[in-house]
Amino acid sequence: MKEMTPYERAIASIQNEPVDELAASPLALGLCRRLMPQKVTYKDWASDPKLAAESFTKGVEQWKLPFTVTLIDLSITAADLGAHVRMDTENTPFVDGHIIHSMEDYEKIQCPDVTQGRIGKLIEMNRLLAPKIKGKSFHIAFMEGPLLTLTQAGGAEQVFMDMFTDPAPVHKALSETTKLCTAGVQKMAEAGVEGMCWDYLWANYSCLGDPEYGEFEGDKYAKACNEATRATGIGLGIHNCADLPHLDTQIKQFGVDMYSMAYYPLIPGSPTATETIEKGYCDKCLVMGNIDPQLFIRGSVEQITATTKDLCQEAKTALCKKGLNSRYCISSGCEVPPDLETKLENVQAVMDATHQYGRM
Amino acid sequence: MSKEQILEDLANAVINCKADLAKTSAEKALAEGVNPVEAINEGLVKGMSVVGERYAAHQVYLPQVLVSSKCLYAGLDILIPAIPKDDLANSKKAATVVVEGDVHDIGKNIVKTMLTAGGFVVNDLGKDVPPATIAAAAKDGLDVLCMSTLMTPTMDRMPEVINLMKENGSRGSCTVTIGGPPTSPSFAEEIGADHRDNNAQDCVNWLKAM
Repeated sequence: MKEMTPYERAIASIQNEPVDELAASPLALGLCRRLMPQKVTYKDWASDPKLAAESFTKGVEQWKLPFTVTLIDLSITAADLGAHVRMDTENTPFVDGHIIHSMEDYEKIQCPDVTQGRIGKLIEMNRLLAPKIKGKSFHIAFMEGPLLTLTQAGGAEQVFMDMFTDPAPVHKALSETTKLCTAGVQKMAEAGVEGMCWDYLWANYSCLGDPEYGEFEGDKYAKACNEATRATGIGLGIHNCADLPHLDTQIKQFGVDMYSMAYYPLIPGSPTATETIEKGYCDKCLVMGNIDPQLFIRGSVEQITATTKDLCQEAKTALCKKGLNSRYCISSGCEVPPDLETKLENVQAVMDATHQYGRM
Repeated sequence: MSKEQILEDLANAVINCKADLAKTSAEKALAEGVNPVEAINEGLVKGMSVVGERYAAHQVYLPQVLVSSKCLYAGLDILIPAIPKDDLANSKKAATVVVEGDVHDIGKNIVKTMLTAGGFVVNDLGKDVPPATIAAAAKDGLDVLCMSTLMTPTMDRMPEVINLMKENGSRGSCTVTIGGPPTSPSFAEEIGADHRDNNAQDCVNWLKAM
């Protein structure tokens, strides 16, 4: 089979078409700032759409990534709801001031103008990036889903307790965060992205059961986000790096095109790549996973090459048994740590090892 | 009301997430002359243990665990001040903390609850706490230190704490456990921690089995 471009491989993998080799696309996101010729701090990268767009472009050029997922951090939508975000120089921004202190505070939450604030900057960043990587890398915007937005803004512990003791105000707030998400995806699509990746993190059996997840995100709010995504005509994706994800709900019921997931070998029930493929989840969508992100910072090139080789062989075998052509992408289970200590050569090692061992 | 009924009410208050029942039953326990330690261990803690087991078995989920935990503390706030200080002398002292640069404390708070339910006297040092503050707390007679972080960039605060504990002489007498998604047993070994676990209940079981 003739050698495909990374972009051709991405499209073929989503559609379960034959590929020359497995797609490989570690979630190297904040790490891309380190490819810039000048010193770019995390704080600058997370604040400046132009810098971030240029960094992601460098990532595509350097590593030939078939997919570009534009996660900046998980506090963007929460910030626009009024949560205070701490931005250290070289740390992922995070919420350090929540907005829920009483049940009345849920009633005060209102969907902000998505053309302004941090979400506005994120949309602008995607607008700048789209023409630069068009036809080279499948461009996927990233946003926190409705429940994650609320827990980030209000504090997960408080919101979870209120879900149990007084759900009505929580639902009212979730209606507003859903408006934010659906307005956001429309603007993302207008900005030229080809797919939307929602972070529906709380669909995790360590946190919520099926009824709880259904009530507080899956049945109504995520459904609205998914439908809004479909209405724009772009691809629908989910990132869920939890240990025990609700795969039936999120892959089979939601009907997504792409699903990014992790694997926790020490947690009983955490699904391996083989189990994920054997259970039919790759019949429905492209699954991306599941190299331990810590390996990029603490592992050697030899170690990450060996891990990638094993994952390639595992995925190829399982895909073959299922009669699938592609539909598995070698990736990191979550973002490659954007730390200054993360070894850039380990990202390249994953690409090289997949090229060598992922031939189909 | 019988002692048995009071103890059962305390346990059920935690299991069924009834904070008011936890408070009134704790007050009744003291009014009826029930030993506060017994009221805690045979009432509140028994209830929290049931919740912990159900959580581990995925029969209940995080929202209920958090509310049960709140009920546990509603009872403890009344019962603990009534315990004679000498009775606490043999209890192991533990501290929970999220290291500097991180404020994600939901896991830490679950560990705190399970430690309390496990009979430890817990000092919650909070979140975003500098290594020097944690090491100083360890020097103040801690038996167990439980550190956590959710984020990769802040993991390196953990070895800093351990090194400071070695410097101030507290490391030898204090068991150090770590937790949080980016951590692993190999990371624990690398930094000189004693243990790393996937969940609060298992961690406390490990500490109690020591």
